[in-house]
Amino acid sequence: MEFIIETSGLTKKFGKDTAVSGLNMKVPKGEVYGFLGPNGAGKTTTIRMLLGLMKPTSGTIHIFQKDLQKERISILKRVGSLVEQPSYYPHLTGYENLEAIRKILGVPEKRIAAVLELVGLSDAAHKKVKGYSLGMKQRLGIAASLLHDPELLILDEPTNGLDPSGMKEVRNLLKRLAEEEGKTIVISSHLLSEIDQVATTVGVLLKGKLIFQDSIAAMRKQAQQKIKLRVSDGEEAWRTLLSRGMKVDFKEGAVFLENASDEKAAEAVAVLVENGFAVYRVEEQKSSLEEIFLQMTKGERDK
Amino acid sequence: MMGPLLRTEFLKIKRKGFWLLTFLGPFGVVALQMVNYGVRKDYLFQQSDDRWAYYLHNVHDFTPLALVLGIVILTSLMASIENETNAWKQLMSLPVSKYSVYLSKFTVLSFFLLAASFLLMVFTLLYGIFLDLGPDIPYADLARYSFYPFFASLPVLALQLWAAVIFRNQGIPVALGVFGVILTYSSYSLPDWLIWKWPTLMNGWNEPVLNVLWGLLAGCALYVFGMIDFARRDVK
Repeated sequence: MEFIIETSGLTKKFGKDTAVSGLNMKVPKGEVYGFLGPNGAGKTTTIRMLLGLMKPTSGTIHIFQKDLQKERISILKRVGSLVEQPSYYPHLTGYENLEAIRKILGVPEKRIAAVLELVGLSDAAHKKVKGYSLGMKQRLGIAASLLHDPELLILDEPTNGLDPSGMKEVRNLLKRLAEEEGKTIVISSHLLSEIDQVATTVGVLLKGKLIFQDSIAAMRKQAQQKIKLRVSDGEEAWRTLLSRGMKVDFKEGAVFLENASDEKAAEAVAVLVENGFAVYRVEEQKSSLEEIFLQMTKGERDK
Repeated sequence: MMGPLLRTEFLKIKRKGFWLLTFLGPFGVVALQMVNYGVRKDYLFQQSDDRWAYYLHNVHDFTPLALVLGIVILTSLMASIENETNAWKQLMSLPVSKYSVYLSKFTVLSFFLLAASFLLMVFTLLYGIFLDLGPDIPYADLARYSFYPFFASLPVLALQLWAAVIFRNQGIPVALGVFGVILTYSSYSLPDWLIWKWPTLMNGWNEPVLNVLWGLLAGCALYVFGMIDFARRDVK
């Protein structure tokens, strides 16, 4: 597999505090990499290091198989980015803001209109950014990151400050860029729900350490399915099922059947009916990705 | 790389009042002499046989102050453009070297200060002619008094630019700047090695060109120090 970003042992310390520790991040080509973690986990610090804004305390970063330390400028020519709160020049119009960046990137002027159209800011192009809403500023930041049609997009919390429809638009835009134009995208977020529809690979960062990195499908597999049974006299029913050697749980007056295949579910219901219990409800309970994510990050956070 | 960066810098300072300040500085310096000569022209004419030289000297009394003050304001304004929404991180994520970003800021500031020096020369000349100071216009001295202070103040410019981009809190560079203005103001009684004295073109040898040389040397040294320090730091 070809990796667009590959870090090894990436560490950043601020004085005695370790913000990021021993990160081995691998972003495969053409994937949308969801970079997840609670606030303060070190996502932004990592992204800053990926863009050469901060120097790692130790470890290396390779982007496009090139050493970032040595070839920062040639790498950045192919990278579009948006870091944290959008940066802009409030006294300039949206168009002028993009023009300031375009001059440095050296791309044709018509790209400005194209990216403004892409993020839906064409109408506000000649208004001062001072008067933009947070969502509009965020879109302007996304537009700026797309000016030079980069192969790699690194976006730090790109949906921050957007309303639900705006979030959906951005998601669709990113999906399109990844699927149709084959761009590799890294998006960070503290909410899995924001990226679980676009991300194909997930990295979970917690307290500066990467605690999970795999495809989103692999993460979904961890989502265990349970069958919830509401029956008359739950406790007695639970004992009956236990005595038949089934993996069951009793919680809040209901019986939970773990790792339930269709056969197991049918068997459990049959046993209950045979033993004279009334079965009111049989429901499938699937823990969402969000719950898995929370579980992953919870243990550590409670300490 | 520098061409596009400079064009970008000139675009970013739009509507920030750079041109207005560049006009106001030299205009203010000459306007003070308009008041001075307006009120007591006859008295001032009696002070010296060489009316042009005396007039240039009077103008030059205020040039260093205006220049140092102008440097403080322009550098802080320049840095605030990036500091305001922390646009440093966006700028530095572009394929540019930190050195060239720093150089572009320094170049733009130098350009405006040179423009102000040029305007000072023009205003001084025009008002001098208006005062009818005599037929022998000392063009060489006029140019010297207009441009020497700029070169002599390069170390102050390098120092203020460094302070303005390093500290997010602009109170620090502005405080340093006010301190500098005070030193320039009281430079008559200060030692020659203080960079804030140099724009006054005073020194123990009575050779204004020395201040220009020191200014260029120390200016380069402080500029290089500032640029290296700027590049070494993480972008917040």
